[in-house]
Amino acid sequence: MQRSILRDLLVLLGVFGLIWLAFSLFSYPEDPQLLSIEKEERLGEAYVDLILLNPMFREFENRQVDSAIRVIGDRLEGGLHDSEYNYRFVVFDSEMINAFTVPGGNILISTGLIGFCDTPEELASVMAHEMGHVEERHVLSRLVKELGIEILTSGDQYVIGEVTGLLTSTSFDRKQEEEADLFAAHLLEESAIEPRTLATLFRKLEEEMDNELMKHFEIISTHPNFRFRIREALSFKPAEDFEAKPIELDWEEIRGEL
Amino acid sequence: MKYHELPQPDQIETRVKEDAMGAYFMMFATSAIGIPLPLLNLVAAIIYYYVNRSKGKFVQFHTLQSLYSQIPVTLLNSGLVAWTIVNFVGDLNFTSFYWGYLVMVATANLVYFIFSIVGAVKARKGVFYYFLFFGKVAYHQVYQIRPERDSATLRNRPPGR
Ligand SMILES: [Zn+2]
Repeated sequence: MQRSILRDLLVLLGVFGLIWLAFSLFSYPEDPQLLSIEKEERLGEAYVDLILLNPMFREFENRQVDSAIRVIGDRLEGGLHDSEYNYRFVVFDSEMINAFTVPGGNILISTGLIGFCDTPEELASVMAHEMGHVEERHVLSRLVKELGIEILTSGDQYVIGEVTGLLTSTSFDRKQEEEADLFAAHLLEESAIEPRTLATLFRKLEEEMDNELMKHFEIISTHPNFRFRIREALSFKPAEDFEAKPIELDWEEIRGEL
Repeated sequence: MKYHELPQPDQIETRVKEDAMGAYFMMFATSAIGIPLPLLNLVAAIIYYYVNRSKGKFVQFHTLQSLYSQIPVTLLNSGLVAWTIVNFVGDLNFTSFYWGYLVMVATANLVYFIFSIVGAVKARKGVFYYFLFFGKVAYHQVYQIRPERDSATLRNRPPGR
């Protein structure tokens, strides 16, 4: 009898132990929602600090340019009704036409992109697109999918360095790009900026498609299906009473600072 | 090792059958309080066992089987609650080991629930139904013939011839 009881116990422990083990090893599609915004912001800060140490992404410190970016950023943040993120826009010194998102609401913009934009509204539409990636947590989803939450939050310096490398070459899939475009159109409208500026921007980007300086720009990197995106952007219907308010900046003067 | 002979269904009174069935439902009720306060629920279950001890071996067997099988389920559930709270308070990650544990605990609860229902129905019919492991432990404890009680050391004996 005792032996049979012991055997039962082992069977029970074995079965439940196996269930635990099997379902732990079975990889779950990890949900980025499981990472809190606070934690994302802390991670993002560490990433930004590291990125700015890289000579290719040295911070461009110029009071006029900074305040111009601030003006545009404030306008866009005013159009966001309920965001959990505190946005930080950083300009880095590079002739590359580039802008990308780092987790935690950090958006990095190259001086090359500022020079490329003919109006502050064009830059605003890129920034709005990047904010779409932030709000939809695209960067985080991608990192979680590729690396897993465990590695991502390890805090290990080497890992952070590697993640930083991935961030500067982030590209999204077609669906994420379309979500970010749509988000941008709504945000621009809410911020009293002509939402169809996006179409103008895409047209200009398309013309420059082969420009070497744009090869890292995430907006165009994966799916240069510009005709479709231009059509989508143009078909966006702002509300009846929509009225664009120009962004009051002397854009030529600001571009002269670069 | 010797065991008392088991009663057959027609030898068990209806009231006894009902009490035996009640043991399983009682354990359900106490396991609800057991999620926040695992000790309290086990204390309640043990009290229930002692209260019903006098109702005979059949009731004792079912009460014990139910009590014993509840212990690991309760511990697993409290472990899950604790782990979840720690993760939230400490802003820790929900690792894959956590999710594996969650699935395991859910399975254990489901198995416990199903077996208890079957146990209760069988008890009502006056039938023995043995859970894996716990059934044998309960049977062993209740029906074992304890030598010190049943043979040499008995103090009261019939008068000599
Ligand atoms: Zn994009």
